[in-house]
Amino acid sequence: MYGRKAYQLVKEFTNSESGQLTGFNDDLFAQVIEDCKEHVLKLQSLLRKMQEEGSDNQTTKNADHFGALMHHLALVRNKRCLMAYVYNRAEVVQNLGWTIDLVLPLEIEEKLSISEKEYFKSHSKTLKSYMSDLDIDLAVDMVPPKDPYIKVRVLEEIGNVVLSDQSANLTRYAILFLRRTDAEQYISQGKMEELTG
Amino acid sequence: MESGSDKGTGGSSAMDDYETLISTTDADLLKRSWRNEKASPEILQFESSLVQRSREQIQLMEETVEEFMNNGEDPLTVSLYQMDIDRTMFLLRSYLRIRLQKIEKFMFHIQKTAELWTRLSRQEQKFAKRSIEDTKQHLDESVLSKLPDRYKSHLKQSVISEEDDMVMEPKLDAFVICRSRKFLGGLPVDDRKSARHVRGGYLCTSLQVDKTTS
Repeated sequence: MYGRKAYQLVKEFTNSESGQLTGFNDDLFAQVIEDCKEHVLKLQSLLRKMQEEGSDNQTTKNADHFGALMHHLALVRNKRCLMAYVYNRAEVVQNLGWTIDLVLPLEIEEKLSISEKEYFKSHSKTLKSYMSDLDIDLAVDMVPPKDPYIKVRVLEEIGNVVLSDQSANLTRYAILFLRRTDAEQYISQGKMEELTG
Repeated sequence: MESGSDKGTGGSSAMDDYETLISTTDADLLKRSWRNEKASPEILQFESSLVQRSREQIQLMEETVEEFMNNGEDPLTVSLYQMDIDRTMFLLRSYLRIRLQKIEKFMFHIQKTAELWTRLSRQEQKFAKRSIEDTKQHLDESVLSKLPDRYKSHLKQSVISEEDDMVMEPKLDAFVICRSRKFLGGLPVDDRKSARHVRGGYLCTSLQVDKTTS
């Protein structure tokens, strides 16, 4: 059936948890592209045949006309599915740019296609350049603040750092009260966790 | 969807005056802009002077707090000031963030609609331009370059399409529930019926309404 593979591709994306990526399905993707090429060959040969018969594409509604139309519609559908697959993945990649600094963790990176990796880099840079134009960091403060200080546990050895109101020794497993704005960068890097309740 | 600064509406009761008064501080204006931006599907006019003023005030507050700390002011007072700064900062960041996320989502639509494009700040326009380049290149490389000749556009399904039928647009005709904050009288909602806006009354209608009440 026309468009079945493209449908599977989109289905694969919608089945994955939202915000999560599965590996880029190169194989199926290439098959859909092959489908497209086949469609265009058949479409062209039908159009040529009609031309040779001297029938006008606009007025003659014979089997060839509808055959050509089917191939055209199948192509358009395949294109939409391919674009939906890539675009929706690209949206997830965009969101990564908000939370992750320029280096992707390995487990995410291996799921991306080459072009997606490039896209992540360039989009993160775009985002960073906007922030530096305005001189404001938008990657912190993701949730409305309740208290200026939060309780955190250090997960990785960070060492002595100077924070905005104190200098602290952030040793592993230490539990401290820190300014939320100070702690946030470490939390997003996975070096700290917030203790609630 | 606040209507505190409505001017020219008759019957200004004491309550309305009070609301006008408290909703004219920049913090409240920022909160309202933030809320409107968050609730509306399309991008709204960038509040450049409000953002500018807010940033100046935040800076001023930060200096005050620093001064307090150096003077050994009561820690509670300092912490209250700090909390106020944090909240305003959150509003500001969130406001800018929501706008960028909308630009990310509807960049092609915004770019080709002059009215929307002019609503962006200069930096946002720069961001949008670069995002469009990045995304277009990514789409080209991944999909479009591999497709047959007449199907390579990122805006149109094929060369036969007369309109740009591949561009994502915000959904403007979705239904929303809103509450009018004061009596607004009868407002025409669509061609057939007009809705009664009674203070505190809930109304389920299409999004055109929030433009009239925001």
